[in-house]
Amino acid sequence: MRMLVVEDNEDLAETIVDRLRAEGHSVDRESDGAEASALLRHASFDLVLLDVNLPGRSGYEVLRAMRARDDDTPVIILTARSQIDDRVIGLDAGADDYMIKPVDFRELSARCRVLARRRAGTATNVFTAGSLSFDRRGKRALIDGADAGLKAREIQLLEIMIDNLGRMLSKEEVADRLYTFDETPSLNAVEQLFTRLRRKLDGTPLVIKTARGLGYLAYVSDED
Amino acid sequence: MRTEPRLVSLQRRLLLAMAGGFALLLLIISVLLWSYARTAANRINDLPLAGAALAMLERASIGPEGPTIDLPNSAMDILALNTRDRVQYRVFSPTMGEITGTGDLPLPDGMDLSDVPRFYDATYLGAPFRFVIQGRRMNTPSGRDWIVVQVGQTVETRRHDQMSFYLSGMTGLAALSVIGLVCVWIAIRTALAPLRQIAGELRRRDPADLADIPGSPPREIRGLFTAINGFIARLRQNRALTETFIADVAHQTRTSLSALQGHLALAADATDYPEMKARVDKAGRQAARTVRLSNQLLANAMVIHRSDRASLQPLSLCPLVRDTLADLLRDSRMRRIALSFEDEALAPEGDRIRGDALSIREALNNLVENAARHGPADNSILVALENTPGRVVLRVEDAGPGIAEADLARATERFTSLAAATRGSGLGLSIVQAVAEGHDAVLRLSRSRLGGLCAELSFPRLAALMAVLLCWGAGEVPAARAEALSLFSATDAAAMEPLIAAFEARNPGIEVAFTEFHTVDLYKRLRAAAPGTMPDVVISSAMDLQVDLVNRGLARRLALPATHRPPDWAQWRGELFGFTFEPAAVIYDTRFLGAHDLPSNHRDLAQFIRDNEARLTGRIGSYDLRSSGIGYLYATQDSLQGPQAQRLIEVLGRARVRTYCCTADMFAATARGELALAHNVIGSYAATLARGAPHVGLHFFDDYNLVMTRTAFVPRDARAPDLGARFVEFLLSPAGQEVIAAHTPLIPLAPERHPDLPIARRIAERPGAFLAIRLSPSLLTYLDRLKQRDFLRAWDASVLR
Repeated sequence: MRMLVVEDNEDLAETIVDRLRAEGHSVDRESDGAEASALLRHASFDLVLLDVNLPGRSGYEVLRAMRARDDDTPVIILTARSQIDDRVIGLDAGADDYMIKPVDFRELSARCRVLARRRAGTATNVFTAGSLSFDRRGKRALIDGADAGLKAREIQLLEIMIDNLGRMLSKEEVADRLYTFDETPSLNAVEQLFTRLRRKLDGTPLVIKTARGLGYLAYVSDED
Repeated sequence: MRTEPRLVSLQRRLLLAMAGGFALLLLIISVLLWSYARTAANRINDLPLAGAALAMLERASIGPEGPTIDLPNSAMDILALNTRDRVQYRVFSPTMGEITGTGDLPLPDGMDLSDVPRFYDATYLGAPFRFVIQGRRMNTPSGRDWIVVQVGQTVETRRHDQMSFYLSGMTGLAALSVIGLVCVWIAIRTALAPLRQIAGELRRRDPADLADIPGSPPREIRGLFTAINGFIARLRQNRALTETFIADVAHQTRTSLSALQGHLALAADATDYPEMKARVDKAGRQAARTVRLSNQLLANAMVIHRSDRASLQPLSLCPLVRDTLADLLRDSRMRRIALSFEDEALAPEGDRIRGDALSIREALNNLVENAARHGPADNSILVALENTPGRVVLRVEDAGPGIAEADLARATERFTSLAAATRGSGLGLSIVQAVAEGHDAVLRLSRSRLGGLCAELSFPRLAALMAVLLCWGAGEVPAARAEALSLFSATDAAAMEPLIAAFEARNPGIEVAFTEFHTVDLYKRLRAAAPGTMPDVVISSAMDLQVDLVNRGLARRLALPATHRPPDWAQWRGELFGFTFEPAAVIYDTRFLGAHDLPSNHRDLAQFIRDNEARLTGRIGSYDLRSSGIGYLYATQDSLQGPQAQRLIEVLGRARVRTYCCTADMFAATARGELALAHNVIGSYAATLARGAPHVGLHFFDDYNLVMTRTAFVPRDARAPDLGARFVEFLLSPAGQEVIAAHTPLIPLAPERHPDLPIARRIAERPGAFLAIRLSPSLLTYLDRLKQRDFLRAWDASVLR
C-alpha cells in the first residue's frame, strides 16, 4: 500500500514509518500540514495517517480540504487529545478512524489493514478475503471459486458490511441502508438475514460479529 | 491599607446615590404636589360657587313680565363663607337679555348652554376671577328658553390655600428625606462593619494558611462568610488530594520507568541475540505497562479535576454507553470478545442523570478494558442499563476469573493490582471509584452470574419533570351544584322572565328565584328585612323609593366594566343602576280624538282639556297617586317643571278624572272606549299593548316627556352578592340590553342603538324632548313626609271633589 504519514514529532514519525515499511508498505512522510495538503493535491495514496497538532495547517483542516476536493482516501486521525469533541470533530471532518496516542502499533497495523480492505473493495470492485471473493459489479459472491448461493438481499447486506468493514452498524443503521424509501424495514427480518448470511459465509475469513444490543461488525480474521 | 479607603468610598457612593434618588423623587413630587394643591384648592373653593349658582337657579322663574329670579339669601350666604374674596353674579337669558346682576361678566370661550355647572378662570376689571356658569331651561310663552346664572369670586383664598397645601406637604417631605438619608448613612456604616472585619482578617493571613476564618457574622454577611470558608476548605481538600496524588504518581512512574530502564540496560549488555531478544521483549511489555500507567494517571487526574469542578449536566446514559461501546468495538483486540448491551429494562427517560460525559466514558472504558484484559480472549462481557427506584444502574459483568471475595474491598484502592499475571496499572478500578464519587454514585463490586466480576455503578436518577397532566379547569369551573340567586322585583314577570331566562342560559349552574312585589310593598319589605333574609338583587320601577333605600346604606357598590356603565343620570354612587328607558306618554282613543287634536306641550294640555270639557268629562284617566309609585313620581316630577302642573291637576279635577292603579288598567279602559285619553302612562307598556289594539294611539309632547328608569341594586347583606352583581352586570351588558329590546316590553337604556324598535323611532323624532329623571338625592325631596302630605292634599283637594 502507498501510505502517507503526517506527523511532526521526529521520533514518533520514525517509528511509525519504519514499522509500516517493515510490513511491506511504501510510506511517505510529511511534517507540516500545509505541505502535506499540497502533496495530497497531486499525489494519491491508499491511506493517510494524520496527526492533529501540526505546524502549518491543523490535521482537521487538511482532512476537510481533502474531502472538499472529493478525495475519499481513507484517513486515520492520530490525536493525543481525548476530549469527546475531538472525536466528533474528526469523524465529522471526514476521518475514517481515529486513534489516541500513544498508539499500539499492532492495533495501528490492524486498523490500517481494515481500511485498506475497505478501499480495495471499492476501487477494484472485487473484494477478496481468503476463500471469499465478492464481485460488486456482478453482485456475485464466490467461495473457493464456486457461487455462494446468496440471494439478492443477502448480497446487498454483504456489500453493506464490507463497505463498513471494522465499523459497528446498529440494526437500525443496517435497515436504513438495506431498505429503500417506501419499503417497510423489519428489524426481525434484518436479524434473520444476518443469521442466513453468516451461515453461508461459514469457513471464510470474513466474520460478521454480533454485539447483542449494539449492532453488527464485519472483520477479516486471518490477520489475528 | 489599600482596602480601607475602598470601603469608605463605597459608603460615600451609596450615600450620594441615595441622596440623588431622594432629590429626584422630591423634585417629581414637588411638581405633582403643586398641581395637586391647585386642584384641591380649586375643588374646595368651587363648591360654594356651585352651591350658590344652584340656589339661584332654583329661584328663577317666568313671570308675567318675562323671566325673573327671586334671589335667595342662601346664595349669598354660601358665598360669604369665604370671608376673603369678592363676589360677582349675573343672571341672563341668551334670547331675552340680562335679567339682573353685573351684565359684563366675561363668558367662557366656546360657551354652550348647559344645565351642568361649568367652571372657568377669567379676568374681570384687572383681577383674576373664578366663575361658574350654569343654565336652566324654563317654559316661556315662546317655548323653552335658557336662563343662565353666572357667579364669580376672586382667587385670593384659592391661591392662599394652594400655597399652604404645597408648603406643608413639601416641608414634611423634605424633613422625611433628611431623616431617611441619616438612617441610610447609619445603616451603611453598620452593614459594612463585618466586611471590614473579614477583610482585615484575610489580609493578615499567610497564603499557606488555609484554616477557616473565625467569627460569627450577621445573617446577611453569613452567606459571603460561609462561601469564603467553603472555598478555603475546598482549596485545602484539593491541595491535600493533589499532594497525595503527586506522591503516588511519582512513586509509580519512577518505579515503572526504572524497571523499563533496567530491562533495556540488560538488553544492551546481552551477549547473544536470544537473550537480548528476551530482554527487549520484557522491556517492550514494561513499556506497554508504563504507557498504560501514564494513560491511567492522566485519566485519573482528568476525572478528579472534572469532579472537583462539579460541572454535572443532565445527560442520557443510553446513547453515551452505546457510543462508548461502539468505539471500543473498533479495537481489534475486542474482536473475539462477545460484547452485548441490554437496555430493555429501562423506563422511558429512565436513563437521565446529572453527569459529566467524559468521566463516565472513562469509567466505562476502564471497566470494559479491565474485563477484556483479565479474561480469556473469547470472554463474554455484558453491559446493562437498568432502573432501580430513583436510580440508574450501569452494570458491566464478564465471564472471566473475577475478583475473590476477600479482595473486593481492596480492588478500588489506588495502585493495587490483584492478579499478578495480568497486572494492570492498578488504577483502573480506582478511577471508576473516583468517577462514582464525583457523581454522587455508588460503585459495587461483586461476583457475576457469568462467573467473573460484576461492577455496578448506581447513579441517582434525574427527576424527570413529568408533565403533570392536569386539565387546568378546562375553561369554566364546572358548577357541580346549582347556585341560587334571589331576585325581588317590583317589575312584573312578563318583563323579567326573558331576562332571567337569558341570564340562566349564559350562566349554567345559577338558578334565579324570582319574587314579585308591588313597589311600595317591596320598599317596606326591604326597610324591615332582617339580615340574612336580604335578596341578592332588588329591582323596582319606583326610582325615588330605590334612591331612598340606597341613601340609607342598604346597597353594595358594584364595579362595572366600562362598556356596561349607564349614563350619569341612570346611576347613583356606583350602587344604584337604571337599566331601562321608560318615557311617560299619553294614550288616546283614535276613534274619538285625532292626533292633530292633541296638544303639543304640557301648557296646552290643561287648556285643551278645558276647551273640550264637555266631551272629555269623565273620560280622562290618570294614576291614583296613593297607590301608584310611578304615578306619584311622574306627578311630582311634573310639578318641578313649572306651575302648569298645578293648573293641570285642577283641570283634571274639574273634568272628573278617573284614577287607576296602573298603566295596564288605563290602557284596557281606553281600548274598551271608556276613556278618551290617559295621561302619564308608562310608554313602554303602552307601546307593547298598542300592538294588539290599533285604535289606541300613543302621543308624546314636544316640550318635555319625563323618562323614568327601572333600577336595580345589590343589597349589602345579600347572601350571594357576587351572583347579584353578575345579574346587574348582565342587565346593563350589551347582550342584556339586546334581550330587553327584543324580548321584553321594556325599552333599553339607549333606544337610539336599537333603531328597529318602533318606539325608538318615535323617540328619535323628538331629540331633546325626553327629560330623564335623574337618579340623585333630589328625588328624596318629595318623599319627605310633609312634602308628600302637602302634595297629596293638594291633589285630593282638586281631584276628589
